[in-house]
Amino acid sequence: MNATTTTTTPALELTGIDMHYGYVRALDSIDFHVGQGEVVGLLGDNGAGKSTLLKIMSGAHRPSAGTVRVHGDEVELHSPSAATHAGIQMVYQDLALVDALDIATNLNIGREILRPGIFGLLGFVDHKAQRKRSEAELDKLGVRTAAMTRPVEMLSGGQRQVVALARSATRVSGEQNGILLLDEPTAALGYEQTQVVQALVRRMADQGIAIVLVTHNLALANAVCDRMVVLNRGRKVADVVTAETDNDHLVGWITGARASMFE
Amino acid sequence: MTSPAQAGGAATPGTPGAAASSTPPTTPGPAVAPAKDSAGVRGLIFLRDRGIFVLWVLLIAVFAVWANPYFATLNNAILIANAAAISAIFAAGVAVGIICGALDLSIPGVAALSSCVAGWMITNGLPVWLALVVGIVLGALVGLVNGLISLRGFNPIIVTIAMLSITSAAAAIVAGGYTFPGLTQLDFMGTQRYLGIPAPVWITAGVFLVGTVFLTKTRDGIRLMAVGGSAEAVRRSGIHSDRYKVFAFVISSTCAGLGGLVTTATVTEANPSASPGLIFTALTAVALAGVSLVGGRGSLPRVLVGALVLATISNGLTIVGVQPYWATGVTGALLIGSLTLERWVTTSVSRRLMATAQASVHTGTR
Repeated sequence: MNATTTTTTPALELTGIDMHYGYVRALDSIDFHVGQGEVVGLLGDNGAGKSTLLKIMSGAHRPSAGTVRVHGDEVELHSPSAATHAGIQMVYQDLALVDALDIATNLNIGREILRPGIFGLLGFVDHKAQRKRSEAELDKLGVRTAAMTRPVEMLSGGQRQVVALARSATRVSGEQNGILLLDEPTAALGYEQTQVVQALVRRMADQGIAIVLVTHNLALANAVCDRMVVLNRGRKVADVVTAETDNDHLVGWITGARASMFE
Repeated sequence: MTSPAQAGGAATPGTPGAAASSTPPTTPGPAVAPAKDSAGVRGLIFLRDRGIFVLWVLLIAVFAVWANPYFATLNNAILIANAAAISAIFAAGVAVGIICGALDLSIPGVAALSSCVAGWMITNGLPVWLALVVGIVLGALVGLVNGLISLRGFNPIIVTIAMLSITSAAAAIVAGGYTFPGLTQLDFMGTQRYLGIPAPVWITAGVFLVGTVFLTKTRDGIRLMAVGGSAEAVRRSGIHSDRYKVFAFVISSTCAGLGGLVTTATVTEANPSASPGLIFTALTAVALAGVSLVGGRGSLPRVLVGALVLATISNGLTIVGVQPYWATGVTGALLIGSLTLERWVTTSVSRRLMATAQASVHTGTR
């Protein structure tokens, strides 16, 4: 492709993705890839196919045609859990945190640390170790939101977003760096909080996580994306390095006023 | 308390006194702005989470004066505990169910079925221990069925109402329309006292101890609460949330079976008629304890105090000679009062948090 910054195998690569809903062609032979440590913005107007493409990546939809490769290996993403298994984590707009539980518990659910010895066999959770691990993980991401014992319901919108992002980040940054799909991560946030989330997204990328960011927000995309892919009516019309483009071009591609760079 | 401006918080960097008044400072980071949002918010949260304890202490104080000298005696305390014991066991079952989002209305039927089957076994000369085990396992099985049916997308309320009918019918069939009287073999868990305290109180204490430890300390308990709070969050963490829902039904029903057995032991008679009043008393205790009916929130110790509050009111009013139906009315008023309080606290907390959200994000702590 035109603007790859890395020469290694992409973390996630989609080739020739078609998606039909009855007679409607939602996606028309889309090629898309994101490398490790790269933030790729997925832009487009409503109905351009961003969400459909994201759903295919997250395993919620199966494409009518095309292949998906994760770290070079072809995978069948037949369900969200298959995607999770392949190292792909989706952060939804609705965050899905457990409000009444504290931050540490939210970050650790599904991968709890049990206490050593007989208590561990009985299923007792080591809250202290969990808090420590979560603190370390958040420190590594450079975000200290709040005391680990604070219930999520007492956090601000930005802090919740940070917790949700961190939860996904800690789940994909295991043995092999994974892929994070973000759907409008700052849609509900104010300016200040958006800055925090932007910085967090950059830091996650710096740690080698591949990030796909779906957004309407051009300022956000400009601030965090290495590369941008623009969809228009189900076709890919642009794939450009952020530094080599400007808002006018992007808006042109998004609205369809500017001709596709692939025709 | 709440007055110092949030913007000026930086003037007192890391005041040790301010930090000490809040929770144990887990993070040694800069404790700048937080101290003041917490004072108010923490007070409100305390009111919501511990309000039931305060209410109970107030009730005891009022009755200690009003019903002096008969109320504030050790014997009366034991009487109250004993009166609360059985409804507390049922309330524990209801609470665990609700916390996980699985309201079980079949509890009275399950209690009747367990007690009748155990009564039948004991009357027919089978060993007492076996009768008790069968009674409890039966409860668990009904819960399992409730859970598995509800998972198929049926409304759990209707499913458990149906199960209420089925189990109470089964209890009546087992009993052949009569009761099993004279079950004195169960005295050891009914009227017998250990260290001066009646057996049902010990059993209730055990149930709540195990339940509380389970819900707050163990992996499965925490996941169970999380499923009630947001099944979606748990599912996205790669956990089968359905299993935990079924598990909640099983716990609920097992408590019902146990409650039925303890009732039988106390009255030395197994009665096949399921009393729906049981579930309402349990629900009242649970709601008084601030267990959100939406799920995901609640604590068993509070539920225990909820049951104790109900027993205290009816005991105290009886001693001062007020007609017992007043107690029912007072309970209803308390319930509405507690809902109002909960709503008020929730809205004020969120308003206060909104006000300080900007500052919190800015400092990056708290």
